[in-house]
Amino acid sequence: MATNGSVPTVTIRIQRFNPDADKKPYLQAFQVKAPPGKTILDALHEIKEEQDGSLTFRRSCRHAICGSCAMNVNGRHMLVCDAPLREHVDRHGVLTLRPLAYLPIIKDLVVDRTSFWEQYQRVKPWLIPPENIPEKEFRMSAEEVAALRDAEHCIMCGACYSSCQVIALTKQYIGPHALLKAFLRVLDPRDSAPAERLADLDRGDGVYRCHTIFNCIDACPKGLNPTEAIETLRKLVIKRGAFEAARAERQRRLDQPIEVVGEAPALSGGE
Amino acid sequence: MRIFLMQRWSAVALLVFLTLHMVVVHYPPGHIDVDRVLERLDDPLWKAIDIAFLVAVLTHALTGAYMVITDVQRFSVYKRALAWAGAVAGVLLFVYGTRTILTF
Amino acid sequence: MYRSTGFIAFVLRRLTGVALVIYLLLHMWVIGGINSGAETFNDRMEFLGKPFFRLLEIGLLAAVVYHGVDGIRLLIGHYFQVTEYRRGLFYAVIVVSGILVIAGGVPILLFALEG
Repeated sequence: MATNGSVPTVTIRIQRFNPDADKKPYLQAFQVKAPPGKTILDALHEIKEEQDGSLTFRRSCRHAICGSCAMNVNGRHMLVCDAPLREHVDRHGVLTLRPLAYLPIIKDLVVDRTSFWEQYQRVKPWLIPPENIPEKEFRMSAEEVAALRDAEHCIMCGACYSSCQVIALTKQYIGPHALLKAFLRVLDPRDSAPAERLADLDRGDGVYRCHTIFNCIDACPKGLNPTEAIETLRKLVIKRGAFEAARAERQRRLDQPIEVVGEAPALSGGE
Repeated sequence: MRIFLMQRWSAVALLVFLTLHMVVVHYPPGHIDVDRVLERLDDPLWKAIDIAFLVAVLTHALTGAYMVITDVQRFSVYKRALAWAGAVAGVLLFVYGTRTILTF
Repeated sequence: MYRSTGFIAFVLRRLTGVALVIYLLLHMWVIGGINSGAETFNDRMEFLGKPFFRLLEIGLLAAVVYHGVDGIRLLIGHYFQVTEYRRGLFYAVIVVSGILVIAGGVPILLFALEG
């Protein structure tokens, strides 16, 4: 890092690509100041406003919850709004920014996520409620919530999808993001169609295309665990009949206070 | 699912069979003694074990090759043809291998 | 490509797997020589008795051992929740297969050098 007074200057190399002018992507270096507290996204804004207005990237909320600004920083996927600039420059004071891998580039850091959303639709990401919807509220036990392993925290940023080596080979694979969502719905005691969901995943391009590479865990900015979710789904797919029966039994008590419900059904395996 | 389970169960079987194979046939390392192989395979039980080993290894190899090929999107359109080709190759190799084992 | 221990394990698994399929066919062909009489069998065995092939056998051993130990790692990952220890497990696979390959490879090497 070159130091100018007390605020160091760092180099950000950004992968540029303009489909109208360039044959293939190239890296372009920009110099920015790196005061403490400045995020990589702040630096991108600064470059766009002061150095090159044509720089293109996605961002929205700047609070690590919209999932727009997932990018590849020095080979790792992360949300750049959540990433302090100074922490991610290497020892030469350089930081390399690329778009999410394995996806078609639209321009600069913006990728085409069509396949990502198409696969997401395949798992019917919405809740299929039971017929006897309780008047007041659905009750879940603490164990049932814990079994979801925070899967509901997913912000659909695409980091896992674009780090998955299987996705690199084939876009027909349903992808870790969609499988994590399927896991969330299947294990949700309010959902009434787990067997149907599991049947949809029981195919070569479903849970069995995962090769347990763990990249999705490494990439997830929310610390979620799609690999473990896929392993759980693989076990449930085989015994989906018994699992659905246990779910139907459980749903007869959805509106009762948790104390009465008592022991939670064994979510890791059904009966 | 079938392919995945075939691969997983054959993998578990191979862990057992291959360890056995290495110990019985290749230990101590050095020249493979044909007489020892002949003597061992005189026992029908060993013939049966070797045939089971053959089934496991062919299942694992062919399902593995099928997975490797169909992982690539470009080739996945041929997956039906590949599955059939794999099944035929499996039967042919099984017949060939079994004949070998029985000849010994 | 997204580099990680899992990615390296995946690539090694695939490479050793493909190599072992090719070896399996060769292995069956050589031993299958017995079908065409003891003479063919001996010819094919003698062809593979050369020191060069003896040395290749160390590579074969390494491929078999790595593929097998990596398979055990995957089985552990399937039946137990160990994703937290994924890096450690990968290094354990490397160390265990390394030990096994050295234990098995040194005698092969000595035998090959003897001729």
